[in-house]
Amino acid sequence: MTASDITEEKHYSPLYFIWLRFKGNRAAVVSGVVLLVLISMAVFAPFITIAGYDEQKFLERGLEGPSSEFWFGVDDLGRDFFSRIIYGARISLSIGFISALCTVLIGIPLGAIAGYYGGWIDWFIMRIIEIFSVVPPLLAAMLLGALTQGGFLTVVLIAALFGWVQVCLLVRAQVRSFREKEFVRAAHALGASPGYVIWRHLLPNSISPIIVGFVLAIPLAMMLEASLSFLGIGVQPPLPSWGQMINVGMNFMFFYWHLAVFPTAALAITVLATTFFGDGLRDALDPTLKDR
Amino acid sequence: MTMFIIKRLISILITFFIVSVIIFLMMHAVPGGPFDGNDMPVSEAVRAKLMASLGLDKPLHMQYLNYMWGVMQLDFGVPFQSPGETVLELLARAWPPSLLLGGMGMLIGVPLGILLGMAAALRRNSWIDYLASAVATLGLTIPVFVISMILILVFAVWLQWLPAKGWGTPQSWILPIAAYAMIPMATYARYTRSAMLDTLNKPFVTVLRAKGLSERRIIFQHVLRNSAIPMVTVFLPMFVGIATGSIFVEAMFRVPGLGAYFVSSIRNRDYPLEMSLILMITIMFCLSYLISDIVYAWLNPRIRIEGRKE
Amino acid sequence: MLGDVMSPALELRDICKDFAIRTGGTFVPKYETVSAVQNVNLILPANKIVAVVGESGSGKTTTGMLALRLLEPTSGQIFLNGTDVTKLDRAALKPFRRSMQVIFQDSYSALDPMMTLAQTVAEPLLIHGIGTASEQRASALEWLERVGLHRNYGQRYPHELSGGQRQRVAIARALILKPTVLIADEPTSALDVSVKAQIINLLLDLQRDMGLAIMFISHDLSVVRSLADSVTVMFNGRVVEQADTETIFANARHPYTRSLLDAIPVRNPRDRRVRAFLSRDEIASAIPVVSHRDISSTVEPSPRPQLVHLDQTHRVEAIVTA
Repeated sequence: MTASDITEEKHYSPLYFIWLRFKGNRAAVVSGVVLLVLISMAVFAPFITIAGYDEQKFLERGLEGPSSEFWFGVDDLGRDFFSRIIYGARISLSIGFISALCTVLIGIPLGAIAGYYGGWIDWFIMRIIEIFSVVPPLLAAMLLGALTQGGFLTVVLIAALFGWVQVCLLVRAQVRSFREKEFVRAAHALGASPGYVIWRHLLPNSISPIIVGFVLAIPLAMMLEASLSFLGIGVQPPLPSWGQMINVGMNFMFFYWHLAVFPTAALAITVLATTFFGDGLRDALDPTLKDR
Repeated sequence: MTMFIIKRLISILITFFIVSVIIFLMMHAVPGGPFDGNDMPVSEAVRAKLMASLGLDKPLHMQYLNYMWGVMQLDFGVPFQSPGETVLELLARAWPPSLLLGGMGMLIGVPLGILLGMAAALRRNSWIDYLASAVATLGLTIPVFVISMILILVFAVWLQWLPAKGWGTPQSWILPIAAYAMIPMATYARYTRSAMLDTLNKPFVTVLRAKGLSERRIIFQHVLRNSAIPMVTVFLPMFVGIATGSIFVEAMFRVPGLGAYFVSSIRNRDYPLEMSLILMITIMFCLSYLISDIVYAWLNPRIRIEGRKE
Repeated sequence: MLGDVMSPALELRDICKDFAIRTGGTFVPKYETVSAVQNVNLILPANKIVAVVGESGSGKTTTGMLALRLLEPTSGQIFLNGTDVTKLDRAALKPFRRSMQVIFQDSYSALDPMMTLAQTVAEPLLIHGIGTASEQRASALEWLERVGLHRNYGQRYPHELSGGQRQRVAIARALILKPTVLIADEPTSALDVSVKAQIINLLLDLQRDMGLAIMFISHDLSVVRSLADSVTVMFNGRVVEQADTETIFANARHPYTRSLLDAIPVRNPRDRRVRAFLSRDEIASAIPVVSHRDISSTVEPSPRPQLVHLDQTHRVEAIVTA
């Protein structure tokens, strides 16, 4: 090989192949676009809505159906429903992201330590995971929610509390399989500390499961929030939450269908989009993760 | 094999106790008892008397021990919200609706799911395949209460074919059962499809075809058996989950089942009922996992034979 | 070889490694000790190549790992350039690690798939804090060239290389710290024959240039012949024969060594020796028997086989009789 051959050859980094695989999954790409739209709408909420989410400006037009003036109608307390739904997107998406972030922040160190050191540390962490797996998460979440009267922060904590197990297991499995590889042994032979090995070698090689765990934790957190809010122990009014709105909407649904239909549709679309996007990402990053 | 079972039972017991302690502490960690924040405020003296009569004035660990001692003898105490009966009796009253609707949901969902999955596997990339995949994905992705809501909106509000409240006439059962059936149907459709596709691609199937066996025989006698194992093992936990009543389905359709009582027990701080429900459900899950593991080990010839070699 | 005035680059004294294997017990686990390496003595003089040969499971790889302290010896001592490094803790051991490096058999998993080649080769400098980032990178690229790869390979990833090329990178990474000892654990076993020769030549060149002492672990005696100054044969976790390369090939005394030699493929079928695939019992029964009067050291007669000097450089495991 001459020098010119080497410099002229085209370089395909691993990232390129990941992008190719992702592009082939139509559902994932569509979901990605949908998510982008949703996120933009949530971020630019003040610019596309005519009122705040708790401004009861339209009491005399209460319970009106959708029209060109009120795209989603007016709710029972005289608030513009479209605004409520859009701000609800903010709540759902932010809870989803923040919970997923906390999930990952808890799950990664625990998984890495359990996978790397093994022995009784691993045993201990696995026992904790077992306890968390046996109690139906929804019931326990409800208990916690009821005890703490709900609230934004509480919901985030609860979602993180029940989500970290998945990420922890993924990271642990990855670390365990890479621990015996020769490049790790080479690093040891060089005198590297365990911290260095985990940070520089094991974690970067676990990026795929970490990203997948993060992205798939988002819809789970959103569902948990919606469920808790539906029961009244999640996000509290006046903060708008789709779950809460569904609960209210059920009382009015026979005559004022818009109060039930729009939050339901919003929730369904958002959860579907994030799940398909996450699945697509997982398949693109590492097709072998499909069955875990 | 017996050692395996015994070890697992012990591990379940330990987990069970740890869980019970944690939940007990959680419940009592929040200030306020069953008589606070009520519509009818009670005077201090009356309140003290009521708390004493319910044994709530004793120190925490005594309460816990008393309660667990009762649990050992299958005495779960008396619920605060309906002191006329024991917790067991209340649960016995509340369970049938959940069991009925949940059970029927499974009964319909599982076979439908399996059929859908089989059809999808056998006619790859046809419209059935896409339909089955769509159903499977949607059923598992969209939370059950959103599905219920959609069902209500479409069939009760818009088309007005069926009632929205589900406990009275058999008609009112249809929608809740449909909601209950989604998860098993989606799960089994997905499992069946992927397990069958995996098996159909295996070399031994090609050999069977070369031998001249009819397609039908191949499918029913060979392929299904091989695919059956994961499907069997997931059955019991799923059944437990559904039979204990989905809280949301019951809340939406106003069904007086376990789920509804759970919600009210939390709202009313009905400690005995809360504890008992969570404990019972946890134990049922543990047992169902244990039984599934045993069934799996027994069914899977590889594990069965290797176990004998020990 | 044994009478070196300078202390050897690496010396292993009575190294043992036992593993506890769980053999059952229902509640209280029962363990059995398995001896992977027993009483291995090995001297690697500076600037020389010592081959350690044996079949899979003979303990040769374990010995290499023990020398590096990637596994902790159950007993025995490790001397690196004269210093006892057996019991040093991680911090104290770190500076010594610069003197002893390793290359492995599986070149693919020897390189971190997420790091570029330049980063991989520069990593030792990073871990030991030598030089600035740009100096490290420059050094890494220099070494890539030294092992026969173009500088531009620095930006590539392991999956873009062939097995032989990856092994070169592994060699560069091992040698960038200029160690005095290199443990090479079957570095050519996974390579094609033509590539094998290239890698071996590379190692020989570098060894000569740097004055490196190499412990070359292998199961392939034909490779060993062209490379090593002396050979240590291991069987079942013990050393059964040690001698200069020529002596081993001409005058092996232990039946196991003989069977290894017999297994070397020959070019002309007519020259094929009759191969005797001996079982462990056959080997055990064919151990040389020597009288204690014929050997030069003070060894007591014993029914159990012991490692004895047949002459100054040749040791064999034998049964010493009266």
